[in-house]
Amino acid sequence: MNIQTQIKRTAAEELLLDAFAAHGEALPGDSSVKAQRKAAAELIGRGLPTRRVESWHYTDLRRLLSNVAAFTQGQGAAAEAALLDGSTVLSVVGGKASASANVDGLTVASLVNGLADGKLAERLTLAGTDDTVGAINSAFVADGYAVDIAAGAEIAHPVELQNVHAGGQVHTRFVVNAGEGAKAVIVERQTGTGSALVSSVSELDVGEGAEILWIIVQDQPVEADHLAQFKARITANAKLTLFVMNSGAKLARQEVRVRMEGEHSQFHLRGVNLLAGDAHSDITMVLDHLAPDTYSTETIRNIVTGRADGVFQGMIRVAQKAQKTDAKMACNTLLLTDEGSFSTKPELEIFADDVVCGHGATVTEIEKAHLFYLMARGIEEKSARGLLVKAFLAEVIEELENEQAIEVLEDKLNRWFEAHA
Amino acid sequence: MLEIKNLHARIAEDGTEILRGVNLTVKPGEVVAIMGPNGSGKSTLSYVLSGRDDYEVTEGDILLNGESILEMDPAERASAGVFLAFQYPMEIPGVATMEFLKVAMNSQRKARGEEELKVPEFIKRVRTAAEELSMDMNMLKRPLNVGFSGGEKKRAEILQMKLLEPNLCVLDETDSGLDIDALRIVAEGVNALRSPDRAIVVITHYQRLLDYIVPDTVHVLYKGRVVKSGGKELAQELEKTGYAEIIGEAA
Amino acid sequence: MAAVQETIDTVRTLDVDQYKYGFETLIESDKAPKGLNEDIIRFISAKKDEPEWMLEWRLGAYRRWLTMEEPTWARVEYPKIDFQDLHYFAAPKGITGPTSLDEVDPELLKTYEKLGIPLREQEILAGVQKPASDEPSDNVYASGRVAVDAVFDSVSVVTTFREELAKAGVIFCSISEAIREYPELVQKYLGSVVPVSDNYYATLNSAVFTDGSFVFVPKGVRCPMELSTYFRINEKNTGQFERTLIIAEEGAYVSYLEGCTAPQRDENQLHAAVVELIALDDAEIKYSTVQNWYPGDAEGKGGIYNFVTKRGDCRGKNSKISWTQVETGSAITWKYPSCILRGDNSVGEFYSIAVSNGYQQIDSGTKMIHLGKNTSSRIISKGISAGNSNNTYRGQVSIHRKAEGARNFTNCDSLLIGDQCGAHTVPYIEAKNASAKVEHEATTSKISEDQKFYVMQRGIPEEEAIALIVNGFVKDVIQELPMEFAVEAQKLISISLEGSVG
Repeated sequence: MNIQTQIKRTAAEELLLDAFAAHGEALPGDSSVKAQRKAAAELIGRGLPTRRVESWHYTDLRRLLSNVAAFTQGQGAAAEAALLDGSTVLSVVGGKASASANVDGLTVASLVNGLADGKLAERLTLAGTDDTVGAINSAFVADGYAVDIAAGAEIAHPVELQNVHAGGQVHTRFVVNAGEGAKAVIVERQTGTGSALVSSVSELDVGEGAEILWIIVQDQPVEADHLAQFKARITANAKLTLFVMNSGAKLARQEVRVRMEGEHSQFHLRGVNLLAGDAHSDITMVLDHLAPDTYSTETIRNIVTGRADGVFQGMIRVAQKAQKTDAKMACNTLLLTDEGSFSTKPELEIFADDVVCGHGATVTEIEKAHLFYLMARGIEEKSARGLLVKAFLAEVIEELENEQAIEVLEDKLNRWFEAHA
Repeated sequence: MLEIKNLHARIAEDGTEILRGVNLTVKPGEVVAIMGPNGSGKSTLSYVLSGRDDYEVTEGDILLNGESILEMDPAERASAGVFLAFQYPMEIPGVATMEFLKVAMNSQRKARGEEELKVPEFIKRVRTAAEELSMDMNMLKRPLNVGFSGGEKKRAEILQMKLLEPNLCVLDETDSGLDIDALRIVAEGVNALRSPDRAIVVITHYQRLLDYIVPDTVHVLYKGRVVKSGGKELAQELEKTGYAEIIGEAA
Repeated sequence: MAAVQETIDTVRTLDVDQYKYGFETLIESDKAPKGLNEDIIRFISAKKDEPEWMLEWRLGAYRRWLTMEEPTWARVEYPKIDFQDLHYFAAPKGITGPTSLDEVDPELLKTYEKLGIPLREQEILAGVQKPASDEPSDNVYASGRVAVDAVFDSVSVVTTFREELAKAGVIFCSISEAIREYPELVQKYLGSVVPVSDNYYATLNSAVFTDGSFVFVPKGVRCPMELSTYFRINEKNTGQFERTLIIAEEGAYVSYLEGCTAPQRDENQLHAAVVELIALDDAEIKYSTVQNWYPGDAEGKGGIYNFVTKRGDCRGKNSKISWTQVETGSAITWKYPSCILRGDNSVGEFYSIAVSNGYQQIDSGTKMIHLGKNTSSRIISKGISAGNSNNTYRGQVSIHRKAEGARNFTNCDSLLIGDQCGAHTVPYIEAKNASAKVEHEATTSKISEDQKFYVMQRGIPEEEAIALIVNGFVKDVIQELPMEFAVEAQKLISISLEGSVG
């Protein structure tokens, strides 16, 4: 394992530990939850991971998390209008969950209760010594929602989970359970204003034969540090499509940990990373194929401008019994600046022999032939480039099986280009 | 030469039964056509004859020269004289066709207790066979079947058949994907191999190939059984009336 | 493919263990006592009659090594190595370096003959070793076109064809000799590619290296023959720490081959080498390895731990360094032949075949570090895992800020034979220049059943059918090897996979 010998604590480490010492006791939770929080704080006490820890190789958290926002709440945070029309909005505003829903097939509870009575204690267990995102969240999580989608329910309108802040520290968790054969579209919004440290963990159980489309839209302010985790378990014949659009934050780390536990299950990840300014944005995925006849595809597209650094780490693991796994991953980057960087580590770890697995990764410029073609049709170079870059990203968005989501996300894409091009 | 007795076979993976009691006898020197509509079990029969393990024989037997070949693996059957000309010959990257031919010929010779071929003799045989099939020797330097056109692949199959000198040739839909010139060359190649001690089984959907390779006997396969047998005129009859009538009779 | 047939024949005549180089040479030897300390290092240095600066360099490395920790990031598992339980020097009695052949123990010459490596130049030239038949020889060493530096345990015993090479201005000798005879060159280049403090094993090597080869090809010279080193570990409980340094001056060219074997032993043995290549403007170095250390028995007992640091520095513009490796041996392989593409327009290549069977563990790959403008690199890696083995490709492609117009193409394919083995791919791709173009693709699959059936239908037995398909799978890399080596390599691959069909 990666053992670090810690010399001196950084300001961020001190601030996190001080905050835990001062406020930990007041956070919701019975004795079992408190024990989990303590264990998580101990992991933080051992030091934030550096690049010597393999899973943090390109995101040296100890260096990048140079400071931590105060353990208070900024004033004036308010729920956002839903991204998709007709959505059932469940907001966590400034760390507090107070919404409820009256939709057939949906049961919504605030997470505070689950913490207070210890029902959620088990979920605060860390995935390993490198599970720093989990540790910060487990130590400090204050609220969120637990959502149950009844077996067989087809939820007509999207459910939007919002985590909105006005600065300070926000530690939120969403726990969603989709029953057998359920169908739903879930949007996860991560946004706010001001300097903040946000940790957010989403957990999803996809019941047998269920079908879930989950869209994460992260557009944190440039002063915010955003540490997020998406964890899912997919059972037999179930299908999960996860779409991630990252366009904000000073430091963003989105971890995706998916376990395909049931035969004939499917997982599809689509990601669009828009990097500008001094941002550091990292998507790290660990996908476990644990059952036979499972199928996954992952496509990540990145644009790097300014002095931004982008990272994609994608590990596909195929267990010995997961015969006939079909897994394909692609990570394509357009690096538009010499000041920025993109690092990618697509990994295959395969223990079953009857598999078809592959990954591709490219870092390139815009295809010269395409550029020439557009210019030959009278489009000036700058707009031609703009068109091609946008097309490169829109291609991934357009794969979504939801017309309205495509429209809204492409609109976001256009606005990002207006602001950063 | 070949006796197929009450042969039942199914797909190993899902247990779907394809052959449901095939009975067939092929005599030395005979050219037999097996015809039938799509899905009748024609290709399965060719795979089961050559020992592909995606299929399980559940009942019956296959005798080659009086001995059962069911326990033999594909290589042993090939050395015993069974040759299958594939409907879709496999592409094998990195393996030059010449090398492949040499290994195959010598493996079979060795299995039969014969001396390995010396290189000059080997090359001579390949060159002669290639000329007869109007094949360019340069093609044989390329990886096996990689980048070959449909016609080139089928010609390469016949080339292998010539060189390996099997006593039972099974041609699975050899006419598919061939234009008329290629078809003629391939058919001439096959006809040249007709001999009193060699049997040829031609599996085909259409009568067209049988204009060039004229069979002694025609069997119609339907739903995994031989439903009708006859002389070459049966194929012509089929061409006129289609399968429906015969199937109707059988049902 | 005669090689395949021949391989199967060879294999059939062998016992359960197929390692044909597993014999031991009974020969008296001088050994340093077990253990590692400054006195041992002084002992090695004194045995080699080294100048003071070399001893100081070694001691500096040793002191540095004491502060370092063994790396654990590779996907290999092995019990902790007791570095005090090894001999750091062993030499056939009476030999401290290359001598004339007449003085070499006949047992030793016999060993090399048995390995297929004749060391008597006149015999090689007279064709004594050539087989009687007209078939082209697949023994590269007997072809008369290769100069050999034979390293036995800790010393180089013989270097052939030195005079002929000297006529062309090429220096080819053991590193021990080079330290004595060409100190300016050694001081200038040793440690300039792999610094003393580079990594745990390289630092250890810097402290205790015993022998290895030195090659210097002067400006504008195209080395007239293939150069090669043949490594043999014979002694028990002995580590082999060889050091190779190859310098190609402006416009020079050299092709270098490396082979290695060891006796079959129950215990593990350590091999920690360092190879440094330096290519100046317009120079080209081609380095090929066929690594066939003893891999351990069918239960995973014994075998060589192969922890190697190989790095080439394309220091000059338009220079080129090409690594080709065929890795079939060793219980553990930890090896990443790399290129630092410093000169503008320089080219780095890495072609690799890694075959693991039994309980072998391979963690190997390359690093291509693009520093100069318009540098390009190409990586072709073919991994084959069988038995209970684990086979990892680990590679890094790094495009630095100023590497305007850098290009990389990487292709790594893995093949699995059987369901008890693992195949892993861990590429690190880092780009910091907008004009860079990096393409990486990787696949993992098993041998196609369709292909296997097709080949078997033509009468080729299963094991041979697999060997045939595997040899096709690795063709792209085999083509990069010198021809005679290619034949040897194909055979080796087939033998390594023997017994992999359940």
